[in-house]
Amino acid sequence: MTLTREINRIVMAAGLAASLVLGATFAFAGEVTLTMAVPDWPPTRIMKKFFDEQYKPKSGNTVKLQVDFIPWPDFYTRVNASLTSGERKYNFIVSDSQWLGAFVEGGYFRKINDLLNADPEFMKTFKDIHPNALNSYSTYPHKSENYYGFPQFPDVLVNFARKDIICHEAEQKNFMAKFNQKLPCTGEELDAMTWDDFKNVGEFFRRKKGEMLAGKPAEDDFYGIAFQAGKSYDFSSMQINGFIWQMGGDIWDETQAPTSKAEGVVNSPAAVKALEKYLSLIAYMPPLAKTGTMDIFKSDELFRQGKVAMSVNWIGLAEASLDPKTSRVSDNLVFGMMPGTKGADGKLVRWSNIGGQPFVLTTWTTDAQIKEAVEFVKWWLSSNIQHQFAAAGGQSAIKSVYSDPKYVTYRPWNRAWAPSLDWQKDVWHVPQFFELLTQQQDQYDLAITGRQDAKTTQDNIAKFQQRLLKEVGLIK
Amino acid sequence: MQLMSTIQSAKTAPALLKLSADNWRFAVLVGLVVSALAVVTLPASGSFWVVGAISALVAAAFAVNAYRRRYYGGLLVAPAIAVLFVMNIFPLLWSLGLSFFAYQSNLQSIRFVGLNNYIKVLTDEVAAPGNWNALINTAMFAVCTVSAQMIVGFLLAMLFAKQFPLRKYLLILVLTPMMLSVVASGVFFTYYYDPTFGILSYVINSVAGGQFIVMDSKAGAVAGIVFADAWMWSPFVMLLVLAGLVSVPKYLYEAAAIDRVSAWRRFWSITFPYIRGLLMLALLFRTIEAFKLADLVIVLTKGGNDTMTISYHLIRIANEQNKTSEGAAISYIILFIVIVLTNLYLYVANPKNREA
Repeated sequence: MTLTREINRIVMAAGLAASLVLGATFAFAGEVTLTMAVPDWPPTRIMKKFFDEQYKPKSGNTVKLQVDFIPWPDFYTRVNASLTSGERKYNFIVSDSQWLGAFVEGGYFRKINDLLNADPEFMKTFKDIHPNALNSYSTYPHKSENYYGFPQFPDVLVNFARKDIICHEAEQKNFMAKFNQKLPCTGEELDAMTWDDFKNVGEFFRRKKGEMLAGKPAEDDFYGIAFQAGKSYDFSSMQINGFIWQMGGDIWDETQAPTSKAEGVVNSPAAVKALEKYLSLIAYMPPLAKTGTMDIFKSDELFRQGKVAMSVNWIGLAEASLDPKTSRVSDNLVFGMMPGTKGADGKLVRWSNIGGQPFVLTTWTTDAQIKEAVEFVKWWLSSNIQHQFAAAGGQSAIKSVYSDPKYVTYRPWNRAWAPSLDWQKDVWHVPQFFELLTQQQDQYDLAITGRQDAKTTQDNIAKFQQRLLKEVGLIK
Repeated sequence: MQLMSTIQSAKTAPALLKLSADNWRFAVLVGLVVSALAVVTLPASGSFWVVGAISALVAAAFAVNAYRRRYYGGLLVAPAIAVLFVMNIFPLLWSLGLSFFAYQSNLQSIRFVGLNNYIKVLTDEVAAPGNWNALINTAMFAVCTVSAQMIVGFLLAMLFAKQFPLRKYLLILVLTPMMLSVVASGVFFTYYYDPTFGILSYVINSVAGGQFIVMDSKAGAVAGIVFADAWMWSPFVMLLVLAGLVSVPKYLYEAAAIDRVSAWRRFWSITFPYIRGLLMLALLFRTIEAFKLADLVIVLTKGGNDTMTISYHLIRIANEQNKTSEGAAISYIILFIVIVLTNLYLYVANPKNREA
């Protein structure tokens, strides 16, 4: 009995000693897990792949990046539910830029100024981000010096086109005969397109099944142009904003709150004219546009299926059009900047609504996690990784990266990237973002489906925004 | 006599204001007062725990009361009732309570506003037009989809009540849509209606030669949604009606045949009384479901072409815009409408009760 007790004591003492030693070891080289919510698409898949293959934390800790890939259509709902339910699951969230207001005000997104101020090297990289991307992805209030996000994947709208159609000799000749101008064929010619030129392409390439198209009878009905005209999320607003800004109109300017007004701005004659222009092009798009369901995925699908000659869409979706497994037109692509509007001085005005996403830190992330998260972000924004990301199909908003001559060689659309960045603006970042957006989307849908004219549409949006923003104190 | 007096004394309820472990009435009274004070004065998280503690106190008083009075049967079903309370009744009461507060889930701010949410969702210049429009659309969908399902389901049931070759296999085929997920069916119909890839447009194009876009007008979009919904749920109506049809005793038809009763009279006098209750049940279920129509609309039109239903509108308000308490108010308005409709149906369905 005594012997048994003695053995037990020895075993217990040995166990205690072993656990102390092991505990000390773990405390020295700990394990830190960063949990991230991201939309499921190539830019985030590439990031995870790079992390798994290349990332070595400088701290010596074992850092795990646990990523929840959420399908795009469910992304906002899932993230919103996670944040507002208080589950505190994620340390990092790939947030759409417009969400900043709602989630900063709710106390979910962590301000990062202290992290930047504590690390001059990090601040230097951060300040190397293009100001338009920095303002859109990081600042709240918009264009202030309160920073919240780091660019995960910056994005802009570009013009996708099929060389086999638009560069065909007979089509070039016929287009010249009809419009007395050259049918754009090269990237540079696409860059020079106005929306009127885009409309001409739409009108010119409407072909019925069996009619001649680029020297062959068309296999199916064919259309010239496509862009987003969808009711869900922000699909029509992202395109219409570009028209409004380019034609001298504006949306309600949150940076001037509370003195700026919605009524008189949102429904200004320029804004109404811009919407009329946008609506006039829908007649030349595939018939789906008339149903109000032409979202970015549908226009991308129609383009990859070979039903459209030119399509304006986000770079983030372009990779699939180069892949022969997912695209019937992969061999014949050329890309240019999104069409613009000729200003009074004859130069093209190219304002567009910025796409892409920042990633943000959540307020409950621990000090140990923040330390590793900052190291991870520094690694992600480092020149080498940003170059690799761009080469794999992503984009970089870091000036020193995208201005490198080899940047344009990575993908055929990269030549349109840097010049587009100077022309990017963003929609409102206020907490009422979703209320403003859904009402606006409803109104645009009525216009797109032909049940309301442009003037009534902009008047209704302006009236709603004026009332709502006044109610919450953002308009006097 | 002694036993009787024991039972009588055991069944006497304690005085309302007497502080004792088994006085559940007192516990309820205190609970109501403390809960109301907590909700009005404390922050949301604090009042949540106070109301939780009070609920536990009331439950304990009930349990002690039941034990002392030897209501062992009640104690045995208590766990099931507790689960029902936690999973069903508490969330219901919580959301009802929430509809009297101004609560935005993303901002976590809360303040008591009484009936203001109800007034706002029905009359406010900014909020009300969308709600009314969605309610009117929902009523329209309810009438169209339920009518379509009742007619098609009834006709299918009449067909399958008879014996014919391959009946069993066709019955399985007809029942299949009901078992599919709504999203899968919705995606199928988006391709079915698609003007570029869709088979419907392709066939009409081939025959008529002109382009056909089903969903480019409100009438077309509504018809598209109603057709898809009827395709999925007519088999449900059919199943219920079929159960009634097969339960009609054969001898009644034999007697009617001997008396040379017309087919129409046979239907009204023999068949209809057997299926009337089941038809009303189907009507009730499908009407309630029609008020919840959202998933099919989301997949097919995203609420475009003026097809926004109140359920989808509710998702946007409560989930996307985080206006939780306004969403709760709309939910209770829908619940009220459904309860009124249900009672109307039951009133129409039970003429005998009415006469009594």
